[in-house]
Amino acid sequence: MAGGTVSGVRIAGIASAVPNSWRTTADDAVTFGEAESAKISQKTGVRRRCVAADGLLASDLCFAAAARLMQDLNWTRESIRTLIFVTQTPDYVLPATSCVLHHRLGLSQECAAFDVNLGCSGYVYGLWVTSRLVMGGGRALLLVGDTINRIVSPEDRSVATLFGDAGSATALEADPGTSTTMHFQLGTDGSGHKHLMVPAGGLRRPHSEENSRRTPREGGNSRSDEDLFMNGAEVFSFSMNKVPGLITSVLDEAEWALETVDAFVLHQPSRFMLEHLARRAKLPRSRFVIALEDYGNTSSASIPLAMTTSLADRLANSELRLVLTGFGVGFSWASVALNCGPLLMPPVIVVDGVDGDLASDSTLKVQV
Amino acid sequence: MGKNQFLLSLDELFELEPGALTGSETLDSLDGWDSLAVISLMALVDEQFGISLQPRQIAECTTIADLMGLVGDRIT
Repeated sequence: MAGGTVSGVRIAGIASAVPNSWRTTADDAVTFGEAESAKISQKTGVRRRCVAADGLLASDLCFAAAARLMQDLNWTRESIRTLIFVTQTPDYVLPATSCVLHHRLGLSQECAAFDVNLGCSGYVYGLWVTSRLVMGGGRALLLVGDTINRIVSPEDRSVATLFGDAGSATALEADPGTSTTMHFQLGTDGSGHKHLMVPAGGLRRPHSEENSRRTPREGGNSRSDEDLFMNGAEVFSFSMNKVPGLITSVLDEAEWALETVDAFVLHQPSRFMLEHLARRAKLPRSRFVIALEDYGNTSSASIPLAMTTSLADRLANSELRLVLTGFGVGFSWASVALNCGPLLMPPVIVVDGVDGDLASDSTLKVQV
Repeated sequence: MGKNQFLLSLDELFELEPGALTGSETLDSLDGWDSLAVISLMALVDEQFGISLQPRQIAECTTIADLMGLVGDRIT
């Protein structure tokens, strides 16, 4: 498996941001009926989800998180040498949204900026890329987030009741004095690409009236080929077969015994899947984070958001031994065993909306 | 695991009274047979038999007995 070891890099802070608009099980009941909605919620463990209003994008949420982090860390704009934005829901086909964010954050021209298109595995992939680039020196911002609800059919129960929108920012810097090491394991099974995809609206099958027409599909659902399609059974099968071994392999790589890990933070697909994976990987319930009840499955932002909501106090005050594991769309997977903390962990940032012209330096209305 | 025990697990999965399923039922006739049930079945079989069912295998089943057949001789 791809991966390897990164040393001499520390995570200085993690911030997560969500939109201040929510959908609850009661809202879903209007579309799918009370019994069905309750049944889905019982399986997914999602009670409410943050759903971005029109015009509020993943980049806006990540911008709010990054601005807060830079301010609290006292990082100057000039000190940041790398900006990476991991998303599947960019602002534009081109340019890379990282370039737009570079401008909005007022970073210097000495800063490299690029996007990475990955979802549920994207946070750990982002940490891998960013930490390797920072090894040589300097500071970097890793922005990771998605507004998946923007590409979901509201009449497709396999996805419409599950996802939340969120963004995150992680600050990394070279720290030759640090004794901590990050051990990564990453992989891909591209044969699974068709099980979690938006089939049309890109260049292979461009946007058209026909492709964007919602039609009846399996299970009484309705969606277009420009909406997100998820084959839940295939995704579950992939996760069941891949994730327990991935966690074992990253623990072996780090030479850590399972019981010495302070917390396992997995991507948060659904409570049912998480509980099954935890049993299969024999992870102790007390050290296994489940944090989607109030936010939903937030795709690429799920791991940093879970760290913010479930581990903030401990990470702010102590060093923890963590295993972070992302898996999904691609199919793609990545896991890292790392020590981190104490680090800056602001509470979840709630973003009301965006003011002004998005193409220029816009002001975000932020609640803390 | 015995056949009856597996049927009882399926009763629970379909939210039916214990003993309701006999094996001859067609899946289409069962209200609870949806994508969530498929995932629950995969988890159940994985935990109780250590078998990873492929979604394609499950899609080819038309009756409860077909589902039991996927577990094969693990059911005595």
